[in-house]
Amino acid sequence: MISRRQLLFLLAFLFPVSKLVMLPAALAEHAEGDLLLPAALHLLLQTGAVFCALLLAKRGQSFSELLENAFGRVFSRILLVLYALFLLFAGLLPILEQKLFVQAIFYDTLPSVAAFAPFFLFLAYVVSKPLPSYGRVWDILAPLSVAAYLGLIALAVGETDFGALLPVGASGSQGFFGGTMSASGWFYDAALLLPLLKKYEYKKGLAWKGALSYLGGGCAVLFFLAVFYGVYQGTAANRLFAIATVAQYFSGITMLGRVDYLFVFALSLTLAFLAAFPLQGAAECLLQAFGRKKYLPTVYGVVGSALFAVLAIVLDYRFGEVLLALAKVFWVFPLFSVAVPACTLLFRRRHA
Amino acid sequence: MTQITKDRKRSVEALKRLLPAEDIFTFDFAAEGGLLFTCVYSDAVTDKTVLGDQIVRPLQGYRGEARAEEIARRVDFPELRLEVSLEKLAGEVLSGNPAVLFDGMDRALIAGTKAVFVRAVAEPSTDVAVRGPREGFIEDIKINSSLVRRRLKTGELRIDMMQIGRRSQTAVALCYLAGTTPQQTVDEVRKKLGEIDIDIVADSSYLTHFLSSRPFSLVKQVGTTEKPDIFCAKIAEGRVGILVDGTPIALTVPYLLVEDFQSSEDYFVPAYRATFTRVLRLLALLVAVYLPAFYIAGQLFKLRLFPVKLLLTIAGSIRDIPFSPSLEMLLVLLVLEVLNEASIRMPKYVGMALSVVGALVLGETAVSAGFVSTPAIIIIAFSGIGLYAVPNLIEQTSVLRLAMLLVAGSVGTYGIILSTAFVLLYLVTAENFGVPLLAPFSPVVKNDFKDSLLKYNLGSLKRRPVTLESPNKRRQK
Repeated sequence: MISRRQLLFLLAFLFPVSKLVMLPAALAEHAEGDLLLPAALHLLLQTGAVFCALLLAKRGQSFSELLENAFGRVFSRILLVLYALFLLFAGLLPILEQKLFVQAIFYDTLPSVAAFAPFFLFLAYVVSKPLPSYGRVWDILAPLSVAAYLGLIALAVGETDFGALLPVGASGSQGFFGGTMSASGWFYDAALLLPLLKKYEYKKGLAWKGALSYLGGGCAVLFFLAVFYGVYQGTAANRLFAIATVAQYFSGITMLGRVDYLFVFALSLTLAFLAAFPLQGAAECLLQAFGRKKYLPTVYGVVGSALFAVLAIVLDYRFGEVLLALAKVFWVFPLFSVAVPACTLLFRRRHA
Repeated sequence: MTQITKDRKRSVEALKRLLPAEDIFTFDFAAEGGLLFTCVYSDAVTDKTVLGDQIVRPLQGYRGEARAEEIARRVDFPELRLEVSLEKLAGEVLSGNPAVLFDGMDRALIAGTKAVFVRAVAEPSTDVAVRGPREGFIEDIKINSSLVRRRLKTGELRIDMMQIGRRSQTAVALCYLAGTTPQQTVDEVRKKLGEIDIDIVADSSYLTHFLSSRPFSLVKQVGTTEKPDIFCAKIAEGRVGILVDGTPIALTVPYLLVEDFQSSEDYFVPAYRATFTRVLRLLALLVAVYLPAFYIAGQLFKLRLFPVKLLLTIAGSIRDIPFSPSLEMLLVLLVLEVLNEASIRMPKYVGMALSVVGALVLGETAVSAGFVSTPAIIIIAFSGIGLYAVPNLIEQTSVLRLAMLLVAGSVGTYGIILSTAFVLLYLVTAENFGVPLLAPFSPVVKNDFKDSLLKYNLGSLKRRPVTLESPNKRRQK
């Protein structure tokens, strides 16, 4: 079982890390100095959704059991498959993001595709492990991520001009909506919690604590966005990989070298696990829909990894197009991550 | 099971059939009352002086009838018992305890006059302490048991004996504190040991394979120690200790990875110092494993990892080196491993010469000749030293270092990070006897932080480690 503490660690310290790589530049491109506003809107929506998703755990049922009670057996299976497909679709962005990040940050020259291949092995390995073991990983990654985040902020904050964020609303409604749509692909955290149902025990106040933890993590993301924009201002949109660039003007770097990379490496470890999370969620949905067999997690892991590997190769130089496509179907993310938990909460025991 | 018969000669013949070896001697003698005895013993492992003075001489003065209890009273020797099975008798004779058979009785006397050839109790060379006890286990299980018993003077200390090994019949002692060690753990250890079917148990490491939940894992799953004070402290925390005859290395289960970052000395120095040294050991281990890998990854894939001045120094050093950075590092590492292996096995008087050859001839000359660069030697030397900061994990970490080096040479820094992720996921899922290997860090057990990498004052360690699930939770008021 995943413990309550591990779940709170995930919400407060790990989910925010996924928003620190390419999201800041994507937001800055559309919303410029108002990049905090679309992010704040998404974070508030997700906080509500996280609250609903955690409240569902009170019923002591798995995701499939909840769906079955609400919509009947056949429809619940269809929904589970749809949900798995959504998670696979949503999981593509962090993988492509990570691939670009790795290629740009870990190598001086563009490496071959093979350099990223071990990630797909890792992906398959993670999915083959039971979900509760993932909780133990969060115990280790949470303090590591917090230390790395604080380290990066400490190095960057001295070079930040927070005045660049003013005046609020300068980018207008177009900037706000553009930013909101383009950032949708990074905000579906509540959806990842649904396959975890029944893998942890609900205790009094968990929903509130979880929502507050998520909100706390969200505030850390907003602060990071502010620091990032404060450092780069008008050129922020060109700094694609925020965590690797936010602290690069730290004055000690000339003497010490890229010490900020130590923190970037620590966050990369967390990112590797986070990128695997949607696939693991999708595998869990399929397991709940079609039954559990010992070998199935490995099969789903291998097939999913292979699929992602093919997509990563096909879409190697088309990340911009992927982002545009995601912005066009931005509604898919709130539909699955906000509407599904809320509806499942409402349609209680309709077919019970 | 073959029973001893009342016919002494037939029983002796049967026993000799079971023990046809030439070093198994028999001799007959008569008591003053006319009763005939035969003593069967193993020449090499029986203390013949004790046998003659304490067993045979009193029996020669015996004038009574063939009554076992009466004869036993006459001998008046503390380690004496009666046995009816010939197989058990044979086992005892092989262990060094002679058997005395006599006419008219279907039982035989077994006297515990085993000869004990042991070295003195001394400080173990693998775990030297500046402060604290300097006793170490030796190869005799009885002396080792006595070292444990001397430190835990409580009736709760149980030392359950068993024999493992079809041929070696090695004595193994299961030590635990009743009421403190979870009974489930004791039963599980006993079951696992009971299921071992192996020819010989040459060392306690033979048993670790059978006690591990993942026997083929690279990761250590059973704790080891040569020091009775550590052994007793672990038992007192709620673990099961295992002593094996013929080896000074004792085993403890369940094992936590953090144990190997602790030393007995940590408990005899101020808490802040103990915490500092534990963290230092962890850092040393991380440096030992990762430094060569990051150096290679930096050189091959990401030069910006180095500060500019350092980069210029490195560039100057590696300019004329004929090998690729990874091959160069692998060669230096190989030389270090060979030197290490040779210096352990080599006679002491050649050791100094080896150091000179290793340090001066190989190191200095290799650099002068341009085979390897100075930074490579410095990094491997530093890594080698770091590895020995945690001596109990050397086997695992040296393999990990090599693996990281290969990954760094082929995939670069991202490979190192992914390998770390693999190792991390593997470690968090590893459990033995129901105890997670990475506890108290994963899963987090707040109480157990007090004696993990951190070390609180002794007064704060009021409860036993929660991870071990001891039924007796409090260890001090």
